[in-house]
Amino acid sequence: MTSDPRFRVPLVLLVAVLVHTAVTSRVTVLGARPDVLLLVPIAAGLAGGRSRGAALGFAAGLAADVFLTSPMALSALVYSLVGYAVGLIQGGLLALSPLFTVLTALGASAAGVLLYALAAGVLGQALVVGRLPVVVLVVALVNALLGPPALRAMRWAMGSARLGRWQPSIQP
Amino acid sequence: MAVYRRSRRHRFVLVLLVLTSITVITLDFRDQGDGTLESLRSGLRDAFAPLQAVVGKVVSPVTNLFGGVARYSGLRSENERLRRQLAEARADALKGADAERERRLLLALQGLDFVDDIRSVPARVVAYAPSNFQVTVELNRGEGHRIAVGMPVVTEAGLVGRVVEVSWERCTVLLLSDPSSAVGVRLAGSGEVGVVRGAGPRSPLPLDLIPVETEVSTGEVVVTSGLQGGLFPAQIPVGRVRTAKVEPGALAQEVRIDAVVDFGRLELVRVLLWKPGQ
Repeated sequence: MTSDPRFRVPLVLLVAVLVHTAVTSRVTVLGARPDVLLLVPIAAGLAGGRSRGAALGFAAGLAADVFLTSPMALSALVYSLVGYAVGLIQGGLLALSPLFTVLTALGASAAGVLLYALAAGVLGQALVVGRLPVVVLVVALVNALLGPPALRAMRWAMGSARLGRWQPSIQP
Repeated sequence: MAVYRRSRRHRFVLVLLVLTSITVITLDFRDQGDGTLESLRSGLRDAFAPLQAVVGKVVSPVTNLFGGVARYSGLRSENERLRRQLAEARADALKGADAERERRLLLALQGLDFVDDIRSVPARVVAYAPSNFQVTVELNRGEGHRIAVGMPVVTEAGLVGRVVEVSWERCTVLLLSDPSSAVGVRLAGSGEVGVVRGAGPRSPLPLDLIPVETEVSTGEVVVTSGLQGGLFPAQIPVGRVRTAKVEPGALAQEVRIDAVVDFGRLELVRVLLWKPGQ
């Protein structure tokens, strides 16, 4: 049972939520907090493709929203889009180099923070726009560093390095 | 064709999730924090609270290390004791600055609330908002301790914020520094009323609606106004004026204040059992 992805994936998600709410919420770098839950859809997209990236992004986003006062499912919307986009970029690659993982985590995290700020602004949430560059920088750099171990954890959870990844067919 | 069918399935999953998210967001807006979704949210927070507390306690030495404090456990209790004493002394000084003007207006302003007369519940900060777009903290007290949405939260130094969400075990406090926060205040020297808004963590708080002809001094005390319809009782220290300037042609002064409370070091607070309109 413990090797079943249906057990491991929720476990990895639970650990990510615990780290996000009980550890990194107490840490500030240049006045900004890391957002390790955003790594869940990124790692899921890299390890399992578009659908898994979007689905796990939705779940991680809902978990994040439980602890916030912003509209429920706002993070779910953003994270599912990030997970899908990462899976789309990764699709067709036969192997993931560590550098690719780091760069993907960096770019996807920056995009995720900006997308969240945009969505929150559209929904009328008050934001301090001047802090956005620092927030983007801190979240992206921390997630870039944690990207490779997060991907390893997600691959372990999903049970296979290539589980569900579609390979482009080569037509003669 | 298998290629095309697989792509359609991926897009279907994304569209389904996006539509579900939009539906939930819409439902949450419609309920305005008082419906099934909010009950579900509160229940999940309460269910998660014990695990969060255990992990928080286990990792707090590591996270505290990032604050760069050596020999933390040995110095912490003394540091807390000294901060409490300093905060109490500051609050007394701030109240004293306003007391003389308040005494002169007492007969004309009967019914004004004083914080000292308001019952309160002590609470501890157990979590900070895990977000860069909200400035909130979570306290270890909730509905089970008579706490309700809208109640002010203070320390010995002054105003911290107000309760915006509450479950049975916990409550969430919107800090003064949150961009969506707004407090009706009064300058202790002139008595002029204005509104202090949040501007994010580690930023001075803007004080709006102060006329250009009002004399504002650096270091002047700012307290809650307690005017009818306000969200807070009167005379709770909010901050001290940092800068005040008048731009040519402006209708109001640009005033910035430093909050009396250090929002980055909140530990023990009091929730005032007072609701707007009381």
